[in-house]
Amino acid sequence: MSAADFLAVAPLLVLAGAATLLMMQIAFLRNVTLTAVLAACGLGLAALSCIPAIDQGTVQVTPLLLMDALGLLFCALFALAAAVTVLLSLDYMRCHGDEPEEYFLLLVLSTLGACVLACANHLASLLLGLELMSIALYALIAYPNRSLLPLEAASKYLVLSGAASATILFGFAILYAATGSLAFPELGARLLALPANDPMLLVGAAMVFAGLAFKLSVVPFHLWTPDVYAGAPAPITGFLASVGKAAVLLVLLRLFIDADLFRYRILVELTGLMAILSMLAGNLLALLQTNIKRMLAYSSIAHIGYLLIVFMVSLDEGSRSLAIEAAAYYLVAYTATTIAAFGLLTLISARQAERENVELHHVSGLFWSSPLLAGLMLVALLSLAGIPLTAGFIGKFYIFSAAVSGQNWILLGALIIGSAIGIYYYLRVVYYMSRRPEEHHAPPGTNGGLMVGSVSCVLIAAILLLGTLPQSLMAYLRSIL
Amino acid sequence: MGMNAISLIPMFPLLSAALLMLSTGRMPRQLAAWLGAGSVGLSALCVALVANDFLADGQVRELTLWTWMAVDNFTPRIAFYVDGLTVVMMSVITGVGFLIHLYSVEFMWEDESFCRYFAYMNLFVAAMLLLVMADNLLLLYLGWEGVGVCSYLLVGFWYRDPANGRAARKAFVVTRVGDTAMALGLFLLFTELGTLDIQPLMAAANDQWQVGDTLPVLATALLLGGAVGKSAQLPLHTWLPDAMAGPTPVSALIHAATMVTAGVYLIARNYELFLLAPPTMEAVAWVGVATLLLAAFTALAQHDIKRILAYSTISQIGYMFLALGVGAFASGIFHLMTHAFFKALLFLAAGAVIHCLHHEHNIFRMGGLRTRLPVVFWSFLIGSAALAALPFTSGFYSKDAILLSAWELPHIGPWLWAGGLLGALLTGIYSFRLVFIVFFGEAQTEPDKQPGWRMAGPLALLCLLSIVGGWFALPLAGVFGPGGHGEIDHTVEYISIGTPLLGLLLAYLMFLGRQVSIEGLVQSPTGRGLKDFWFSGWRIDSLYDILWVRPFTALARWWRNEPVDRLYNAIVSASRSGHRALLTLQTGELRWYATSMVVGLVLLLAIMLRNAS
Repeated sequence: MSAADFLAVAPLLVLAGAATLLMMQIAFLRNVTLTAVLAACGLGLAALSCIPAIDQGTVQVTPLLLMDALGLLFCALFALAAAVTVLLSLDYMRCHGDEPEEYFLLLVLSTLGACVLACANHLASLLLGLELMSIALYALIAYPNRSLLPLEAASKYLVLSGAASATILFGFAILYAATGSLAFPELGARLLALPANDPMLLVGAAMVFAGLAFKLSVVPFHLWTPDVYAGAPAPITGFLASVGKAAVLLVLLRLFIDADLFRYRILVELTGLMAILSMLAGNLLALLQTNIKRMLAYSSIAHIGYLLIVFMVSLDEGSRSLAIEAAAYYLVAYTATTIAAFGLLTLISARQAERENVELHHVSGLFWSSPLLAGLMLVALLSLAGIPLTAGFIGKFYIFSAAVSGQNWILLGALIIGSAIGIYYYLRVVYYMSRRPEEHHAPPGTNGGLMVGSVSCVLIAAILLLGTLPQSLMAYLRSIL
Repeated sequence: MGMNAISLIPMFPLLSAALLMLSTGRMPRQLAAWLGAGSVGLSALCVALVANDFLADGQVRELTLWTWMAVDNFTPRIAFYVDGLTVVMMSVITGVGFLIHLYSVEFMWEDESFCRYFAYMNLFVAAMLLLVMADNLLLLYLGWEGVGVCSYLLVGFWYRDPANGRAARKAFVVTRVGDTAMALGLFLLFTELGTLDIQPLMAAANDQWQVGDTLPVLATALLLGGAVGKSAQLPLHTWLPDAMAGPTPVSALIHAATMVTAGVYLIARNYELFLLAPPTMEAVAWVGVATLLLAAFTALAQHDIKRILAYSTISQIGYMFLALGVGAFASGIFHLMTHAFFKALLFLAAGAVIHCLHHEHNIFRMGGLRTRLPVVFWSFLIGSAALAALPFTSGFYSKDAILLSAWELPHIGPWLWAGGLLGALLTGIYSFRLVFIVFFGEAQTEPDKQPGWRMAGPLALLCLLSIVGGWFALPLAGVFGPGGHGEIDHTVEYISIGTPLLGLLLAYLMFLGRQVSIEGLVQSPTGRGLKDFWFSGWRIDSLYDILWVRPFTALARWWRNEPVDRLYNAIVSASRSGHRALLTLQTGELRWYATSMVVGLVLLLAIMLRNAS
């Protein structure tokens, strides 16, 4: 490896270094604030190191990793999202009476896994990244050891996710047996030589796809989502819903592009079918949900459904670049919005002392008791609903115009119906927030923390900025794709 | 410098509106007044800078603040286009706007919602500036709707009286009819010509369309619909008299000087498009003449001081439409400007009367105010002189130009001219009827205070502008091309000078000297019927009530539990049952979740393999 290679993988090296440092620090000096600061610094540094890494251009580092601008952009995004999660968690864990040093270590490791996924160019690195991310997440979900709910969530996720990983591995084995290659581009080249309707290949591809679809919680592999999301600590739910999903979707997209799986029309059509099912089922399931965390869990199913539209659009070579651009933009907007929404939920639940799962009536009157918090939550919800001037709107509009240019009318119909249902349950939270507070309602405490508040403000500002001035990011994405 | 100043112009009032709104009414009055009036003053200064630059070199300035997004060929931009027309409009909006804001400080001082008032007013100024500065029709539409919302908020400003809420709703709904037409026009233009940027749009229209084609006629007719709604012209003029429910300075700024002239601006801005559609141009002229006559007759019979002024506004905008319709765009804009001066003056003076007279609106309970409120009297006198277009006032020059242009038009020209002339006669009569009844004769009500400097100052300045405003040379030649009249027939000119004087004389004979008794005329059955007919505004409100409102509400009542509603309820219950059905899958049991995964995988494989072979 040359110096340029080292510079190109710097974000991953920084993350690995930070994890090692944290491990040593925890062994010698137990101080949760120090751990959190170190973790946040390490993550921030990793995000910063993406800038010189992008300047290196596209570099293939070992056969495993392809460090290109898109991957590195998402590495930076994941590191920043994780840093936000660290800040949110510190406060949250204190409120729940935990002193979680290893928690931050696990978070850094999970982020490393997500970054590896973002740059993976090989089935082996795909598996490594996926497992690194998931195994750290099992422990993170179960971390609050004083109640049974996180434990239940973690065991469910462990068993089902393990099964999904096994499916993926089985798929890899079949693909390897048929082609003798594990690197994406080579895999694509060898697949070209084989007949397109070879059952062996189809089964292999389908198993890989099914496993990844589980991680994305796409219908019909979505049943675990609400239980795990509701059981996990709120900051981790945010991390899982944003980074965890964005990384998997990114690698799925890369697999499809680099190995040219778009040739298997039936596979792409299945993603279209699953997109429709996810959009409808996700939104319908969220419709009357009173537990806000569960509602957001169901809505995340729908959001991944919106994103899957781009696969179907990409079938047409002409619309493919627009579709990928749309997916990248949507992922950025979705990550920012989801982290913000769960962060604010963390704040709300922290304020309402020990209340892990925020029900609708708990936020009743929030506009009157803490207008800033409610205002921020409003923006996050509007962005999730896709109302103009927020990041979510631009993302959805992007996908919408991609679908229009690909003339996928059925998918568009599902997108519109799904969004319409979505507006109902997002605005229902707003409605509850703006109700006059009930008399018997205890006034929320003020242990939210200044830091968490300012982080949320920055996130909301970012969402609004992405919604009003999206042009620079759009132009950048266009230039790197 | 010039470029920076351009972007600052709408920014000041917008920022101030945001601050005033965020203060949620807790800001001290003094500060709110400085912020509210000061921000408009600052943007007036910026306009002065920009205008100075512009007059020096005559260069059109274009400024793109940002492109919202660029997805495929849809690229909505926040961009400004400043030419002579924009400079004139901006000067009127910020100049007159600043004076009215200053006046409002005193007028609204006692009001409990002082902050809210200035927040809305500033937001209005910002939206109106956006409307006239926009370089594309989409941004223009944003400003257009923005001023509509502000108008709604300010008409219903004293919302505790349900009548004001009704008036606000009426204004909003009636203008919405026009706005819908305008939106359709924009859609049509975008699908046919592929852009909404005004200058490329004009070029494309000239390229692709011939004079008299169907498409430009249709597009301009739809735009005319929007203009008619916003500018209170026939048949959508009914909202303006009711809009007088708002505070008087609001009437001065929004419902006289600026917003209601937005329709005139829209047509002038897109004049090249309208030139491609002669039938629409003719319609514009006839709408103008019909409106100016109808409103002038109506104004004769009113006894609410603000309603008289409201009908006179409708009538004067009718003149502007007449000018546009005969192709004298520069004269139309000229009249827009002078009208802004003298109508703002009249409204502010009327506001002073109302303010000093315990909120009295009925002119027959006023009288003899000439000596009691001298400042207001002189303001009103000068304003009325300009309104009636007496020689050497600003209104004279602008109205004269319009009548001459109408006369020069072949075929229908003399008819339009005659209509305008009759209107001028009526204007003379109704405006001096107002002056004579309010300021002369017996005093009915004693004023309890005198206007302070914040009210008298703007009045004095507007008096000055109402007189000298006619001497301004507007930089419009670069926009509409050189104007000028051909050989002017002197008889025509004498007639148009003499007509307002005749009106003044008639008003004097009927209402002050009492040489001509109108009692007998009014008491006769025909006279009484005619008076009631005019008083009600030609019964157009009741006509619309029978034609549209009642059938609509009846239809709504009939359909309350009818098929359409059932369809929506069915969607709701379908969603609910879908939710419940899907929820039954969420058992929380791990073994079932694992089973579902296996089933899903098997299904996936089955579909793949079935379609492969």
